[in-house]
Amino acid sequence: MKSSRTFRHGGIRVEAGLDWEQRGTARNAFLPNGAVILLKQHAGKQARCVVRRGEYVREGMVIGRADGAFSAQIHSSIPGIVRDIKMISLPEGGQSEAVLVALEGSFDRLGRKGERYLWKSMGRTEIISTLRDRGVVDTAAPGMPIHDLLSDRKEIGLLIVNAIECEPYLRAEECLLRDKGAEVMEGIAILQKVLAPKKIVVTTSQATTIVLPLSKDDGVDVKLVSFEARYPQDMPRQLLEALDGSRKRPMTDALIIKPSTAFAVYEAIVIAKPMVERYVSVSGGAIKRPAVLKTRIGTTIGDLIEECGGFLGPPARLVIGGTLRGHSVYDLDVPITKTTSAVIALSSEEVGSQLRSPCIRCGRCNEVCPERLDPSLLFRLIERGMWSRAAELGLGACTVCGACGYICPSRMPLVAAFSTELQSTQGQALTHVHGENPH
Amino acid sequence: MWGTVATLIPALFWGFFCFGLSAVIPVIAAIGGALVGEVIVSGLMRRFTLWDGSAFLTGLFVGMAMPPGISPFIPATASLFAVSVIKGAFGGLGSNWMNPALAGIAFALLNWPVEMSAWSLPHHLIKVTGITNLDATVTDTLNRNVFSHLGADLPGGYFDLLFGNKSGALGEISAVLLLAASVILIAAKVIRWEIPTYIFGSFAILTWAFGGLSLGNGFFSGDILFAVLSGPFLLVSLFMAPDPVTSPSSKVGMMIFGVGIGILTFLSRTFGSTVGGSAFAVIMMNCAVPTLAKLDTRASQRRASNAVAMTKGAETHGIR
Repeated sequence: MKSSRTFRHGGIRVEAGLDWEQRGTARNAFLPNGAVILLKQHAGKQARCVVRRGEYVREGMVIGRADGAFSAQIHSSIPGIVRDIKMISLPEGGQSEAVLVALEGSFDRLGRKGERYLWKSMGRTEIISTLRDRGVVDTAAPGMPIHDLLSDRKEIGLLIVNAIECEPYLRAEECLLRDKGAEVMEGIAILQKVLAPKKIVVTTSQATTIVLPLSKDDGVDVKLVSFEARYPQDMPRQLLEALDGSRKRPMTDALIIKPSTAFAVYEAIVIAKPMVERYVSVSGGAIKRPAVLKTRIGTTIGDLIEECGGFLGPPARLVIGGTLRGHSVYDLDVPITKTTSAVIALSSEEVGSQLRSPCIRCGRCNEVCPERLDPSLLFRLIERGMWSRAAELGLGACTVCGACGYICPSRMPLVAAFSTELQSTQGQALTHVHGENPH
Repeated sequence: MWGTVATLIPALFWGFFCFGLSAVIPVIAAIGGALVGEVIVSGLMRRFTLWDGSAFLTGLFVGMAMPPGISPFIPATASLFAVSVIKGAFGGLGSNWMNPALAGIAFALLNWPVEMSAWSLPHHLIKVTGITNLDATVTDTLNRNVFSHLGADLPGGYFDLLFGNKSGALGEISAVLLLAASVILIAAKVIRWEIPTYIFGSFAILTWAFGGLSLGNGFFSGDILFAVLSGPFLLVSLFMAPDPVTSPSSKVGMMIFGVGIGILTFLSRTFGSTVGGSAFAVIMMNCAVPTLAKLDTRASQRRASNAVAMTKGAETHGIR
């Protein structure tokens, strides 16, 4: 199905890295010898640790209990001994406790055929509380626990399963849909039972080819809509704008999740498996053999890169999550979390010159801003400390998509300035414009 | 910057071919003056920016606007003034409010009006009077094969204007090479197409409607082709007016800016007495850019407050 649907204003065409052809299926990554399991892999507060050093943990055992709103259960992804519990800094800023588990003992689940739970007789509350117990969170940052999202909404207008990956180097969702299409569909069916949405849409980008096993056997009527390959088409506001043709729909009338979230829902409900694995695409110009790996949560990115043949040359920059909205990391011990979709090692040619030169007022940032802001003006205001003026000019609507920073020929640190500014104004309802950033 | 320099080289070399050493010397002098200015400013500001190419380009533009055979002192002073006072004194690249190259050209026009309008014919045309053979052949062929079918008749002389077989400033005479350069730059998104389009559109319409009046020909008889192809109009409107630093970036802003330049150029060309009307027109519209930017800011503030109003509606729907 070809269509030229897209959002109205701004946006960029990101070409670098899209030619990476990895159309095969995902590989299972080796089990890590040690897992670094963060107790904060979700939007809310860090989970409370319930294990002690030296304790033996089984695969899938709860090691952290959800603590308040937007917090989620944390399970051990491998069986083993708790070697240490220590604070580590997070790539997105802040700190969290992490449980270090050294692989030991036997797997309860691996290699065994589990039975299928019949979820159709389960009620809404039962499904939601099961999802809470299994620690399922939306796999898009910041990792909203699915039970918080679901208990807020009922009989909504639209459920969007967003398979668009318009940032370069991201392939995990596409690969998951190819490998586990039927399972994702079953996850969608479970969500349909809970939410009773009027319409279910799977959104894809024209740059990717996704074949969904669209069956109406279970009474699930899913529509596949493909969009122009334009960034940031996968942002909530841009998605709704392109689907509805307007911005009238309130955010609470729609639920937007990733296919991997639907897959986690399937696993949690049907095979009673907590969220301990995910698909991660490992790529970038500095990676020898790019691949999508099925990875245990807590595996370090160094282990994954090693599994992809290591580096071609010294990487100029390591990024997790995506080159535009992700975070730079500076060592190889950063662990995979429930929301880590990609590990990207960029070569120095891909990074290019980072030398900042003065703004020549070319106006390209205005052109590409999907929220129709004036990034260069906002940047000048922030630089001079005129924050309230910047807020008046709509800084709060900035989604930190990074389009302006990508296009800027003078390499001005626009996105860094906006994200710092938005973080420091938390609590003033500025970042809460559409409830996307609920820390 | 260096890319822009590269695209201008063919037009420059056509000038060198036509005028020989009398074209090479002013260009070298202009670029030299610009580089000296940049080095002085770099020293004062403790920020070495010679390699960004912006000073070189300014010098090149100033040089290209000079009549061949002019004393090298004039282009050198003009571009030194452009780079050090107009650009450097306002804070360097990105902070100047007036296009430095145009300011340099205007500086020369105002200080040495006689020397600046001493045009001469290209070397290979000195013995030719009136229209060249090339023009006569091309015009004749076109008239016989194309225009006669359309019931039109192209008078001679336009192909000389287009190819640069005419007198004029050393870098401005070859319209076709300048147009080719601008096509490359627009395709590479170095310059925006909007501003030249608005300038051409408004200037052409005005010339067509009222241009004949001063010659006593009545309305709607102006000669658009002659007006567009002669003088510094192409170089100024294609390369200097769309300079991003000194032009607006919003759609409405670009329209007002471009149309304003078109109107002012037409007025000074038809009813004024100075040469270089288009250069002054752009400088005058440069003055309006901060005000146009303020209009954009006001519009984005309106949008922001609308968005906040919408969000408030959403909050009552139960968003955390």
